[in-house]
Amino acid sequence: MDEQKLEYFKQYSEIIPNFDAFMESLEKEQPYWMRVNTLKIGEEELIGRLENKGFKFEKYKNLNAYKILAMPVKHPGATLEHSFGYYYIQDLSSMAPVFALNPQKGEKILDMTAAPGSKTTMIAELMREGTIVANDVNFNRLKSLGGNLERLGITNVIITKKDAKSGNFGIEFDKILLDAPCSGEGTVRKNPWGFRAVEDREHKMLARNQRIILKNAAKHVKNEGIIVYSTCTFNPWENESVVEYGIENLNLKPIHFDLPIPHLKGVEEWREERYEYVEYYKRIYPHLEDTGGMFIAVLKKE
Amino acid sequence: MQFLKKNEYGKYFVDRFGIPEEIIEKYTFWVRGKRVWAFSGEYIDIKDMEVLGIKALSLGRTPKPSTAFLRVIGKYAKKNVVNLDKEKALKFLKGENIKENFDVEQGYVIVKSNEDILGCGLYKGSLINQIPKKYRYEDTWL
Repeated sequence: MDEQKLEYFKQYSEIIPNFDAFMESLEKEQPYWMRVNTLKIGEEELIGRLENKGFKFEKYKNLNAYKILAMPVKHPGATLEHSFGYYYIQDLSSMAPVFALNPQKGEKILDMTAAPGSKTTMIAELMREGTIVANDVNFNRLKSLGGNLERLGITNVIITKKDAKSGNFGIEFDKILLDAPCSGEGTVRKNPWGFRAVEDREHKMLARNQRIILKNAAKHVKNEGIIVYSTCTFNPWENESVVEYGIENLNLKPIHFDLPIPHLKGVEEWREERYEYVEYYKRIYPHLEDTGGMFIAVLKKE
Repeated sequence: MQFLKKNEYGKYFVDRFGIPEEIIEKYTFWVRGKRVWAFSGEYIDIKDMEVLGIKALSLGRTPKPSTAFLRVIGKYAKKNVVNLDKEKALKFLKGENIKENFDVEQGYVIVKSNEDILGCGLYKGSLINQIPKKYRYEDTWL
C-alpha cells in the first residue's frame, strides 16, 4: 500500500489499541476467507474436494468459516464447486454482523442494503426457514445479489429495490440488518487500489445518511425486535455517533451480544464527541485475526 | 408487474422428475410474465418487489425448468435424470451437447454427475445443452 494511504490511517492512532500492529497489518495482503454453504453440501465433503484440487485451509473455531492458506488458482472462486454454490468467498469480519443478528427459524428479517448478498446468503443459511427481504437501491448491485442467491440455491428471499433512507416496506420485521453504506476503511487490505481517502466532510455526509437509514429501520422493526447496525469502517462519526443518535432519538436500546470473532469495545471519544455506551459496541480490527475491519452494534426497539 | 400465485406449476416437477410431493409442497409458485418463481418463505405483499424466491420455470410451448432450481431440488428426482461421468460432465458444463442415447423420456431432463446436479438438458435422442452461460465451465477453473 502506498505511503499516502497509510498516512491517512494515522488519524486513528489515538483510538485503535495496539496501533503499530494495526498499521503493520494494513501493509500485509489480506487472506481470503470462505464460508461453506451447508444448504447445499457438507463441510467435510467440500473441504476434501477442494483439498484434492490443491487448496489448503484453516478451519476457524467451530464455524463453517475457513481461511484459505494456499490455492492453485488465481481467484478462490475459480472452481466448479464455487459455480455449484457450495461456498461463498466472504471475509470473517463480514460474517460478524450476521452472528450478531442471530437469525432464527421462522423469523421475518429485512436486510436493508443487501447487495451483493454475502450477509443475506449467510442469514438464509443460518435460519434455514423464514423470510428475508433483501433490499438495495442500485440495479447493478441487485443483479449480483440475485445471481448469488440463485447460485447458492436460496429460495426464501424477496428482493426489493428501494431507497433505504425512505423506502416503505409495509410491515414490521422481527430483525433488521443495517449494514450501512460507509467509507469502507475496513476493506482497504482487500482492495488497496480501490481505496480512496475520505475527508471529514464526507464522513459527516455519510453519517447523516446513515442516521436517516437507521431512522427508517427503526420504523420497520417490531417492538422488542432488533436492529443490527454495522459498517466496515473505523471512523466513529459513522459508527458510535450514528448508534448513539438512535439510542437518544429513536427509542432504541443497546444490548450486549456475543461474537465468536476477536473484537474490542467501542471508541470513547473522537474529535470532542464522547460516546456513552461503548461497552455495548464491538469493533473488529485487521490485526486481531488477519481480517478486514468492522463495527457492530445491536439495538432493541422499546 | 405482479406475481400471481399458481401452485399448480409445482406438479410439473412431481410429474416430470418424480420429485416427492412433500418436497415440492415446501414451495409456493408464482407467475410473472413468462416466468414461474419458487419461493419457500412466507409471502409478504411489498411494492417494488423485484424477485420472489428463485426462477423455477420458463413458460413456452412446454415449460422449461431452470438450472438454478434443478440444482436445489434435483437430488430428490427419481426419473428423467441423466448421470454423466466426470469427463462428459465437464464437456456438458462447457456448453457441449452429448451425442449419446440415454434411458429417459424425450424432453427436459436433470443432468447430474455423481452427487453434483449440473442442471437442465433437453433429451431428443441426444442430450442438448441447456446450461446458462453464467454457469458454464471456464478453462481457467479447477
